[in-house]
Amino acid sequence: MTMDKVINILLVEDDTLDVMDAKRTLDKMGILHIMHVAKNGEEALKHLERVSSENGVKPDVILLDLNMPKMNGMEFLSILRKDDQWKNVKVFILTTSEEKEDKEAAKKLGVSGFIVKPLKLNNPSSIDSFNLMIDLLNFK
Amino acid sequence: MKISYLIFIGFLVILIMFSATTYINFKQAERVNENSEFFARSTTIVRHTNRFQRNILNMVSGLRGYLFTGENYFIQAYDSAAQENIDILAELDTIVPDTSVQKRALRQIRQLNDEWVNNYAIPLIEAKKMSLTSDSSKHAFDELYRERLLSGVEMRLNRRLQQMFKDFSNYEYNLRDLRKSELTESIILTKRISIYLTSVSIICGLAIAIFLAYRISNRIMKMVKMADNIAAGDYNVHTTAEGNDEIGSLARSLNHMASVLSENISLLKRKNEELGQFAHIVSHDLKAPLRGIDNVVNWIEEDHLDELSPKVKEYFQLIKGRLVRGENLIQGILTYARIGREQPVIELVDLNELMGEILENVAATSTVAIDVQKDLPVFETEKIPLQQIFSNLIGNAIKYNDKRNGKIKIYARKSPSYYTFFVEDNGPGIDKAYHDKIFMIFQTLQERDSFESTGVGLAIVKKILDDRRQSIKLTSTVGKGSVFSFTWPK
Repeated sequence: MTMDKVINILLVEDDTLDVMDAKRTLDKMGILHIMHVAKNGEEALKHLERVSSENGVKPDVILLDLNMPKMNGMEFLSILRKDDQWKNVKVFILTTSEEKEDKEAAKKLGVSGFIVKPLKLNNPSSIDSFNLMIDLLNFK
Repeated sequence: MKISYLIFIGFLVILIMFSATTYINFKQAERVNENSEFFARSTTIVRHTNRFQRNILNMVSGLRGYLFTGENYFIQAYDSAAQENIDILAELDTIVPDTSVQKRALRQIRQLNDEWVNNYAIPLIEAKKMSLTSDSSKHAFDELYRERLLSGVEMRLNRRLQQMFKDFSNYEYNLRDLRKSELTESIILTKRISIYLTSVSIICGLAIAIFLAYRISNRIMKMVKMADNIAAGDYNVHTTAEGNDEIGSLARSLNHMASVLSENISLLKRKNEELGQFAHIVSHDLKAPLRGIDNVVNWIEEDHLDELSPKVKEYFQLIKGRLVRGENLIQGILTYARIGREQPVIELVDLNELMGEILENVAATSTVAIDVQKDLPVFETEKIPLQQIFSNLIGNAIKYNDKRNGKIKIYARKSPSYYTFFVEDNGPGIDKAYHDKIFMIFQTLQERDSFESTGVGLAIVKKILDDRRQSIKLTSTVGKGSVFSFTWPK
C-alpha cells in the first residue's frame, strides 16, 4: 500500500515491544507516518497540551492502549472527550481483550475502531483494522 | 410459655370441667336414689298410719260391740286389730328416724294407745267377761262402764289419738311435698350446671385448639416458607421469632442458620468471583509477555533468517513450540474460568448441523473414520457448552487414537427427561486407575512432548456437566478403546 500523505499518529502505549510492533507493522504496510509515543494517559494529555499551546502539528489519529499505569486508556479517553479541541479526534483502541464490557464502554466514548494485538502482518484482524483506519482518515 | 405446658394446661382445664360435670351428675343420681328410698319409706309410713287408724276404729267398734252384745266375735275383731297395731307401732318405730319430730309424735301416740288400751279397753273387756258370771260382777261392770265409757273420757282419748295420727300422716305428706319440690329444684340446677360446664369446656377446648393452631401451624408455615426460600437459593430471609416457646427457639435457630448460611454463601460467592477474576487477570497478564516473546521471535525470523545458523533455527522452533503450549495452557485456564460465568442462552439446536460444524473444526485433517448417528435430536438447549463438550471429547478421541484404521462412533440415546450421548473410539483406552484423575485440571496421561496436551479439556467437560448436575461416565478396555457417555437435559 502506498500513501502520498504522512499520517501524524499519537501512540499511547506503555509496552515498548508493542510500540516497536506498531511501528514495524506500519512500516511494513508502507504507511508513511510521524509517531509520537506517550507511555500513559497523563503523558498523552501533556503532549496534546503542548501541541495546542505551541501550535504544533495535531495528531490525525490516536492509537490507545487500555491497560497502562498511572492513567489508563479509558480514563484518558473520557478526559479527552471533555475537551472541545479533541472532541472529534479519531481514536483507535489497541486491545488484546475481547471483553464485551470494555468494547461497549469505549464505543460510548466515540471510538472509531479496535485494533487487535498482536499487530502482525500475518494477523489478518490487525491488518484489516489498520486498513479501516486508513480509510477513515481519508488518506488514500 | 412452652407449648407443651400450654397443651397440658389446656387439657387439664377441660378435664377438670368434665370431671366436675360428672361429679355433679353423680351426686344428683345419688340424691335421686336417696329420694326414691325416702318415697318408699314414706309410702310404708302412710300405709301404716292409715292401717293404724282403721285398726283403732275396728278396736273401738269391737270394744263397743262386745260391751253391748257380749259376743266373742267382737273380741276377736278387737284382738286382731290390737295385735296388728302393736306390730305397726314396732315397725314404724324402726322406720321413722330417731331424731325427727315424728319420732316424738310416735312416742305420744304409743303412750295414748297404751293408755287407752290399758286403762279403758282391757279393764272393760275383763269386767264384761266377769259380769256374765255373777250379779256383783255385772254391777261392777256397769259401774266401770259408766265411769270409763259414758263419762266421755275414753272418747276424748280416742279422738286425740286419731287426731295425732292425722297430724302424723299430714306431716308425712308435707315432708313428701317438700322433698319433691327440693328434688325438682336440684335436678333443674344440676341440668343447668351441666350444660354450663359442658359449654364452657367446649368453648375452652375450641379456644385452645384455635390458639394452638395459630401459634403452631401459622408459625410453622412461615418457617416452611422460609426453608423453601433457602432451598431456592434466597439466603437473605428472616422469620419473626416471637415468644419463648419451642417454635420461637426453632425460628431463632432457623434465622441464625439462614444468616450463617447467607454469610458463608456470600463469602463463597466472593471467593469464587475473586478466583474467576484472578484466573482472568493472571491469564491475561501472562499472555502479554508470551506475546512479546512471540513477536521478537517472529521479527528475527522475518528480518534476520539468513543470519541464523541451523542450530539456532532449531532452538527457535523449540521456543515457538513452548510458546504455543504456554498460550494453550493460558487459554485453557481462561476457558475453564469462564465456564458458568456467562449467562446461559437457550436456542433451538439441530445436533446434526452442530456435529457438522464440530467435525469441521476438530477433524478436518484427521484420517480417523467418524461415524455419526443419523437423526440426532433437534431440541431447545444451550448450544455453546454442548459444542464445547463434543469438541473436547471428539478432539481427544482423534488426538490420542493409535490405530491405523482409527474409528469414532457418535450416538445418542433418549430417556424421558434427558439424552445420553456417546463418543466411542478404538484408541488406546484408559486404565481404570486413571478414570477419576483424567477429569482433573492439568492432568494428562501422555508425556507433554509427545502430544500437545494441556490437560484442561476433560476438566472443562466435567465442569460444564457438574454445573448442570449432569454426569459423565467412562468405560474403557486398555488397548481396545473407550466410550465416554454423558447425560444432557432435554
